Amino acid sequence: MAETKLVTITIDGKAYQVPAGSNLVDAAKWHADNDIPVFCYHPKMAPVGMCRMCVVELGMVEKDRATGEVIMENGQPKVRWMPKLQTACTQVATDGMVVRTDTDKVKAGRESVIEFLLTSHPLDCPICDKGGECPLQNLTMAHGNGVSRMNFADKLKLDKHVPLGDLIYLDEERCIQCARCIRFQDEIVGDDVLAFHERGRRLQIITKSDPGFDTYFSGNTTDICPVGALTTADFRFGARPWELTDVPSICPHDAAGTNISLSTRLDRDFGGRAMIKRVMPRQNEAVNEIWISDRTRFVHHFTRSDDRLQSPMVRRGERLSPTVWNEAIPALAEVLKAANGDVAVLAGGGASNEDLWELRQLLKGLGSERLGAWTTHSGAELLLEVGVGKGSNLGTLGKGDAILVVASDLEEEVPMWYLRVKQAQDRGAFLAVANHRPTRLAEIASQTERKVASQTERKPLVGKSVLYEAGKAAHWLNDLANSDPELYNTLKDAQNLVIIAGAEGLDWDGGRALMQAAANLLIAGGHVGKPNNGLMATLPEANGMGLQYLGYTTQNALDIIKNPPSVLITAQCDPLGDDPTAGSWMSKVNTLITLTLFPDDTTQRAAFALPVQSFAERDGTFINGERRVQRFYTAQGPMGDALPLWEIIARLRERLGQGRAKVSAAAVMLELSNHLPSFNGIRYKDLAQVERQYPDVGGKDLYYGGTAYQNKGGLGVQLPTTADNGSAPTTGTVNLPEVKQAKKGELLLIPTVRLYNRSHIMRPSALIANRVAKPFAALNNADAKKLGIKHGDRVEVRFNGGQATVTAQVSDSTPQGVVFVPRYLADTPTPMVITSASVVKVSDAVAVQ
Amino acid sequence: MSETKHILLRWKDVKADFRKLAEYRKHEGFEGLKKALAAKPEEVIDVVKNSGLRGRGGAGFPTGVKWSFIPKQEPIKYFVVNADESETGTFKDRLIMETNPYQLLEGLLIGAYAIGAHTAYIYLRGEFWDIAAQLDACIEEMRKEGLVGKNILGSGYDCEIYTHLGAGAYICGEETALLNSLEGKLGQPRVRPPFPANKGGGLYGEPTVVNNVETIANVPWIMTHGADAYKAIGTEQSAGTKLYCVSGHVKKPGVYELPFSATFRELLVDICGGPSVEGRSFKALLPSGGSGPIVPLNDKVLDTRMSYEDTAKIGTIIGSASLIVMDDSVDITWVASKVTKFFKHESCGKCTPCREGTYWLDKVIDRIMAGEGSERDITLIENVAKNMAGITLCALGEFAANPIIHTIKQFPDDFKQHVKKDGKAAKPVALPAAGD
Repeated sequence: MAETKLVTITIDGKAYQVPAGSNLVDAAKWHADNDIPVFCYHPKMAPVGMCRMCVVELGMVEKDRATGEVIMENGQPKVRWMPKLQTACTQVATDGMVVRTDTDKVKAGRESVIEFLLTSHPLDCPICDKGGECPLQNLTMAHGNGVSRMNFADKLKLDKHVPLGDLIYLDEERCIQCARCIRFQDEIVGDDVLAFHERGRRLQIITKSDPGFDTYFSGNTTDICPVGALTTADFRFGARPWELTDVPSICPHDAAGTNISLSTRLDRDFGGRAMIKRVMPRQNEAVNEIWISDRTRFVHHFTRSDDRLQSPMVRRGERLSPTVWNEAIPALAEVLKAANGDVAVLAGGGASNEDLWELRQLLKGLGSERLGAWTTHSGAELLLEVGVGKGSNLGTLGKGDAILVVASDLEEEVPMWYLRVKQAQDRGAFLAVANHRPTRLAEIASQTERKVASQTERKPLVGKSVLYEAGKAAHWLNDLANSDPELYNTLKDAQNLVIIAGAEGLDWDGGRALMQAAANLLIAGGHVGKPNNGLMATLPEANGMGLQYLGYTTQNALDIIKNPPSVLITAQCDPLGDDPTAGSWMSKVNTLITLTLFPDDTTQRAAFALPVQSFAERDGTFINGERRVQRFYTAQGPMGDALPLWEIIARLRERLGQGRAKVSAAAVMLELSNHLPSFNGIRYKDLAQVERQYPDVGGKDLYYGGTAYQNKGGLGVQLPTTADNGSAPTTGTVNLPEVKQAKKGELLLIPTVRLYNRSHIMRPSALIANRVAKPFAALNNADAKKLGIKHGDRVEVRFNGGQATVTAQVSDSTPQGVVFVPRYLADTPTPMVITSASVVKVSDAVAVQ
Repeated sequence: MSETKHILLRWKDVKADFRKLAEYRKHEGFEGLKKALAAKPEEVIDVVKNSGLRGRGGAGFPTGVKWSFIPKQEPIKYFVVNADESETGTFKDRLIMETNPYQLLEGLLIGAYAIGAHTAYIYLRGEFWDIAAQLDACIEEMRKEGLVGKNILGSGYDCEIYTHLGAGAYICGEETALLNSLEGKLGQPRVRPPFPANKGGGLYGEPTVVNNVETIANVPWIMTHGADAYKAIGTEQSAGTKLYCVSGHVKKPGVYELPFSATFRELLVDICGGPSVEGRSFKALLPSGGSGPIVPLNDKVLDTRMSYEDTAKIGTIIGSASLIVMDDSVDITWVASKVTKFFKHESCGKCTPCREGTYWLDKVIDRIMAGEGSERDITLIENVAKNMAGITLCALGEFAANPIIHTIKQFPDDFKQHVKKDGKAAKPVALPAAGD
């Protein structure tokens, strides 16, 4: 909690010092360990006083008006009690406040509210998903009468399976109209897609959007729902909470490093092995608070998809044939020995630090240092110098602070950051969003106020949305002081400044230039080496930052592309699937070894395809975009013969005579942190450290914060930047590359990112299939007209190395001369970097249907 | 009494058509506004404070005090007139708006000037669409004569007036639900504090005064004739006159303007002519529509003055003064059932006790009325009603508990005749239509 003036309040006869203005429910819990029961109140949202469960007796110590002295009566301060019970959630702590929570009057009040709530609540706890972790169930046991005076026949009968969208179901009978879900969407996410319909006992939750419940954060409403009214399509009727084992883990999808808990059970459907039944948030206030995005929650089925590569494969002639590790490893060792050091690695952001370390050591032993990062983002080395300072927490940015998001569609790339950036603006931070096309966050940034139904006061918002010329992010930011001095100064002179850089429309040179321009702005304003200041990047997957720390760079990748090695190892990346032009240089590689989750395009060409375990099956660490090293634990039973990537390499190294293979991920980390000074000698046990977090959620008092898990797996350790360590970074020259031009008669193809797509990881989650956009290309009206293309037409986009057949989306929000093609939507690989492309009409919209 | 001078229905005394701006102006119309604009805003508030004018919406809060809560330093303030008039048996505000619209609009401008508001809204219940159109026409008439808009009467004071129709919800007569509705949100009451007069609590979060139509219609007379003249009318704590809406079993129901010092007998017997059917006598009175406590209409009640302080002494309230009179043919249980159905229908559903309680009460009363209840059911509804009262978010929950609590208290035998005794079935009674 922020440091504020302390006041004295008395709760059940004991005096406590609490921050002035703190919510009474929160203050009682945090300072007095007094559980005031609530249903509608939630510590992350404004109080509404609806459920009436938190009633207390409230009084004020009387003071003499003239002297200000406390009036004493029988040796005790005289208290003026309010005649009626008051809701604690709508009270803020003021000096001299006196509260009673243990009197008969309070008990009677609570009991009556429970009785009212239960009058029409169904008695289906035995088949309810919430049963066992249900606030209503728990508070009924604690405060209820135990006997119902409601005639059973008088109970209201309502629909029990109302899909609010594809992902969330509503049971109208169970709903107690607390509006937590509505308020979460409205206040916290800003996607105001839920509402109350009707009034009185007919009051029901409805969705206002089409498609229903259209947001990337819907699953959180099931966590904060105090009853079993909202359940996920993924988990409902899947298991009972008390059967589940919760395993701390980290979201594998993006740079946020969202802390999650994998609820597992030994399951018949998975051959009796431990199986993920649901993905839940795990509290980490500095990372994701108690929220997770729907991708984090619903995209876990890939971990046990039958499509996974499940045994090592070796090429025999044209075909890849399954083999066993005991044959594969010696064969691999022979190939590597024969390469004479002409070997390189391309690694993706899905590999853990331990994996990357073993690979690095393998190459070192073979006499090579060619460690390439296969990623769309470059310039990550600057994050080690001027990344957000140690102790940064987006959740504490507010008035006087500024955030710049550039070249990123943050909602699609890192939804958790989107959520937290949006909330920082709600708290008063200046939000600037710059891109070459409108995004949801740009819309948020340009709002001057946000109307929140449960809040009355209009809070002015500050921000700006800027559109720059396609692909010219670095040019725009580098020239900002001249082109828009007002914005430049607002950012530079802010109390704290965080810049979040993406790579949309940028190649590796452009990305590096953008990062340098951002670094220069931060350095110019002194926004380095301190908390809540510095640079972040939307590095794809969970460990883009780890790639940089372990020495895997885009420069090396570029070198690998220019001078392909004899033996190339791809580690959790699919160059041939990502980049249609990769085939041209990949053909120069003699032996391709791929370490992969899925048989992908690269696998098709590999001499060896080695199955690695997913994040769910093994231990490891990722480093998030804020440089927080975080640990994930083994949760699920293994798939086939797949092994942790580090273990495959460790066995290989042993075979190559590089020393005994490590037996655990922890041992790998020990060696890693002993050798790399940037890791500050951290151990797994350091990463497992936890401390009490505010608000205190996930304990037995589920009614308070919901079913987000308490953090028992560790809060992680944030690595310091060189600036944190005292070195004064200096501004560097921004090498502005020439922006790619479209060939005559063609358009500039800019790849974009969608949260839901058809990548190997997404496909097994059938649940979100309806939410994945149909393959499309976005064109400007004028360009479309020139090409004879109408909105909805089937078109072929042709580019170097391939083509894709998609639907044309024609609008003015796409700049002229540009075609946006989202990655991983089409059936064939589409470009990962900006390139020239032609768009040709194939058939009319009508003909397709 | 009939010879009493009218304030709100002044056209009756001068026999003029106040719907016409010229007629209204001929008879002191807009004199009060002129006086007000010539004075300082705080002087206007003082006059209203000294007059003893109390809110006519039901709560009786001193109007001048309410105005004085508005923080002066805030740049944006709003003045809102509550014309939602939806209390059962209340039909006084529509009479003012239909027959004396300019007096309301004049009072509104005085109030808006006093608190420094430049925008005023009149929130009307949805069924008043024709009245809203009429008020809009009046506002345009006033604009022609410089009485609204920029630089009113050359004073330099600007104020714009808008009418706004609700969508048919009782709860939107509650001031914070009204503000929500006016903002386009769901008509549910807000948590207080902050109160509407506070920053953060009013319309769009700005300090706001919400006053009833009748309250505001008093203001021009007070400005013209002074606080003392007004205070001289009525009782010590209830100054001025009141519009009493009489319905039910009297010979001449209707709206009557009387000073607060008049007694129920003067109104119901002398003016309204007593029980409507010969041979029957008065049994019960709901002095404030469905929301106030019911009382037996006996001599003690008849001789009580219809003021805030006197009605409190007989265990009820004058509220909005919607007097529903019942003779001895009425089964009060039926009344309780009817009113409970009303509140069940109108509960907004925001807070638990009211949403669940009204539904539950209705179910049990239905059972009792069908002759299937037991004596335990009477204890049950009394207990449920008492559990609702005092714990709900807004006053509607208290109102909804009143018909049960006070019927059982005042007319215990009426309920008992419906329930099973000694194993014998009780007499079934025709139910009010469902959903009414």
